[in-house]
Order: sequence, then structure tokens, then C-alpha cells
Amino acid sequence: MKEPKIKFDHVTKIFETRNQSITAVKDYSMEIQEGEFVAILGPSGCGKSTLIRMLDGIIPTTSGDIYIDGQKVNHEKKKMPQEVLRKMGFIFQQPNMLPWFTVRQNISLPLQVFALKGAKWEKQVDELLEMVGLKEYANAYPSEISGGMLQRAGVIRAMVHDPEILLMDEPFGALDELTREQMNMELLDIWSKTGKTIVFITHNIEEAVLLSSRVYVMGTQPGRLVETVDLNLPRPRQLSMITQPEFIEYRQKLERFIGKIDLSKIK
Amino acid sequence: MAKNEAITQRKKKEKKDPVNIIAPLVVLAIIYVGLEIGLRVFDVPAYVMPTPTNILIGTIKSFDIILPDLLFTIKIICIGFCIAIPAGIVLAALFSQFDIIVKAMQPVVIWLVITPMITLIPLMTLWLGTDPNLRVIVVIIQATPIICLNTLNGFIHVEQEKLEFAKSIGASKFETFIHITFMNALPQVFTGIKLGCIFSTIGAVSADFVSRGMGLGDRIIKFLKYSNFEQSYGCIVLIALIGISLYTIVSAIEKRIVLWKK
Repeated sequence: MKEPKIKFDHVTKIFETRNQSITAVKDYSMEIQEGEFVAILGPSGCGKSTLIRMLDGIIPTTSGDIYIDGQKVNHEKKKMPQEVLRKMGFIFQQPNMLPWFTVRQNISLPLQVFALKGAKWEKQVDELLEMVGLKEYANAYPSEISGGMLQRAGVIRAMVHDPEILLMDEPFGALDELTREQMNMELLDIWSKTGKTIVFITHNIEEAVLLSSRVYVMGTQPGRLVETVDLNLPRPRQLSMITQPEFIEYRQKLERFIGKIDLSKIK
Repeated sequence: MAKNEAITQRKKKEKKDPVNIIAPLVVLAIIYVGLEIGLRVFDVPAYVMPTPTNILIGTIKSFDIILPDLLFTIKIICIGFCIAIPAGIVLAALFSQFDIIVKAMQPVVIWLVITPMITLIPLMTLWLGTDPNLRVIVVIIQATPIICLNTLNGFIHVEQEKLEFAKSIGASKFETFIHITFMNALPQVFTGIKLGCIFSTIGAVSADFVSRGMGLGDRIIKFLKYSNFEQSYGCIVLIALIGISLYTIVSAIEKRIVLWKK
């Protein structure tokens, strides 16, 4: 069998605070194949952000292992190696641009840190800017452009070093509904063109069904995997699909899972 | 393209808007005329406050006496200030590397900011002798803590997500510092430096008051002794001018460097 691109093997994360320890993620396992578009769905506080932060080496795991291309990547204390980090691009909930750099400088920063120099990478920056329509704004400061543009810049900053995996932490959550729908469609377009593996975090059921091939539903207290739902919906996906019966069926199914979680939380 | 237009328009507005220059001058003129008339109408004696015109005349007349003291004070402030800036920033950078040192040093720095250095001057004279050039040390001890405190504030208040971004691309501690922490603190570094202008001026003049013999602070007291009220007021104005000039220079540099804050 083919080696999964990403594998979580009984991963647990416990945060120690001053007077208690909080289990953010408990005993989480999943396997994602190369080129898949998966969504991780759950209410706030279910540890979904913690999950991909562990994958991207931002926070260390407490126990369990994470594998990328069959290689164990997590260490309790040490920094994740550069060649592993290079395989991933992280897109934040906020655009998270550095206000003191121009759009172009922001996007080029990962190249600088990964020591990727030369005309090839310069061209990459230009192409990405062109792709999301930011070429005219390359020398503007983040404060001078709109929220949608900023988030686009955030997306291409995560792609500039040509990662194989895109990790998205509710990437368009801060945008208005219209822009968000448009960005989702653009994202599907990028995915189908580049064949990257995408892990998409969201609390929006519709978004999860519309975009992904599989949804991992997470529950709270402690954050854990509740259910895995494979979506057999045709591609390419379109916004108009949200009114089709299969789509609604999946949505209701997921709603039931989320609903259960909420009830258990109240109890 | 629309953006380019917008930006150039704004730059033009910033640079050429004459209101920014004229408005303060008008205010200054009003104060001058107001004082001139008010002081004459109410017949205020010169030892309370001489009229602006008399201050101007008196100062110009005695300028050859004032000049060496003026130059001396400028020298002390500038040297002290130029040492205090890097000292404050480097100290803050060192402290910010470890949370425990931040916690330990912040109260000490605040304590240093609050303590009026004038109280230490007699002691310093005792330790270091009476060479007037040693007043530079007073300026340094007065200005460094305030620069350090502000810079430190900027260094330790960085948005978590920005640091997460640095981690996600595997930036080293040094790279994170120069690309994120330092840049994030720059506006606050400048606030510190601007406060440093004021503190250095205070430091230099208070050193003059205590140590005597030289400097504008000393000159004020000498003029007062011989009832030259116009000239002592003139010295006060000159001291203010030194502070304002420094402040303006720093602001101008800030505008050229901190381009992203409008």
C-alpha cells in the first residue's frame, strides 16, 4: 500500500497551565493520502487548530507521532527540520501579513528563510502575484490593501516555496460571505491545478462539504476525533451544488454529529 | 493603478500641505503678541516675566556670553543622547531574550526612569570629580532607561500569530528577531527615543544646576543673580529650542523609516 502523505498516530496534546492541565487533543489518528483535500470540522475549542499547529511544528506534541511521507517529524523539544517544514505552507485565519513589509517582501520572506534564491524563485513570486491579481499591489503595504487581497497574499505566501502540503486554519473565516465563497472556489481551482495535499480546518459544515473529499469531525472536551465521513460528491465542485440532495444529505449527517457533540458538552 | 494614484496623492498631501507649517507659526505669533500686550497692559514686572521683545533683545545683546554655554550644553546632550540610544536598544534586546530577565529587570528600569538623576549628581561629583564633561554620564543615565523601557515593551508585545508564522517557516531566533520582533518594536523604539530627547535635555540642565561653572543651566542662575531676567528667560527658550530641534530631527527620521504607519 502507498505510504500516506500525512499520518497522525495516537497524537495527544496536553497544555499545562498554572493550575490545571488541559487535554487539547486526545489520541488522534488519521491518514491523509497525497493530493487529497480533507477538512477537519469541529466547534471552537475542539483542538483543530492545535492539531495542524503540531503538524507544522509550531507547537510540540505531548505524545504520539506524526509522519510525513513515512518520516517521523515530531520531536518533543527540538525544532522541526527545515526540509520537513519546506514541504508545508501554513495559511492563518487572519492574513497575518507583517505590516512593516510590502506585499512582495511579505511573500518573499519564506524564500529568504528557506534560503531559496535565484531567478526561478523571483519568477515564482511574480507568477503567484499575477495569479491572485496582486501584481499592481506588490509594493503596497498591507495597511493599504483590502481584507480579501490580504488573505490572497496570505495564501500565496504559504505557497511561495512550493510546498506539497497546504495547511489552512479557517483561512477565510474573517472574510465576508461573498469574498469567502469566491476564495473557496479559487482554492479549489488552485488545488485541481497543482495537486497539492490540503488540510482545511473549518467550523462551517457547508464549507467542509463543498470543498473536501473527506471530513474529520472533532468533538470537544477533550478534543478528539468523533467521526470520519467520506464524501462521494462529483468534482469539480460548484457553488450551485449546495442545493442538490446528496449535498444536503451529507450536510445533515454532519450536522447530526456536531449536534451530538454540543449536547454532550452541555451535559 | 487606482492604488498608485491613492498613494501618490497621500504623499503629496503629507509633504506639501502648508497648513502643517503655517498653523503652528500662527499659534506662535498669537502667543507672542498676546504676551507682549498682556504683560504691558497689566504692567507685569520684569522679574516675574519680561516681554517677549525684551527677551529677544536681551538675548541677542548678550549672545556672545551665552554662546559658549549653549555649545557646551548641545555637546553634552548630543553625546549623551547618541550613547543612550544604542545602549537602551541593546539592553532591551538582551533583556527580551529571556522572560525571566524581563520580569526581573522591568521594575528596575522603571525605578531608574522615575528616579530624578539630579539627586545623584552630588554623589557623582564625589565619585568622578568635577570635570564638566562628565555631565554626559548624567544624560546617559537619564535617557537610557526610558529608551530601554519603551523598546522592551515593543519587543515583548508581539502578536502570537506573527511568531507562529516565523515558526512555520522555521525561522531561527535571529531571523525572527530582525524580521519580526525588532520591526514590530520600531514605532515604540522611536517613541522611546523621542522621550529620550526630553530626558536628555532635562538631564543636562539639571547637571548644570548642581555642578555649576558651565552650561545653559548655570548661565540661567548667573543671569538671575545680576537681575538679568530677559537673558535668563532667553536661556530657557534656548534650552527648549534644543529639545524641540532634537525631537523634530528624530520625528523626521521616524517618518522616513517607519513607512507603514500612516
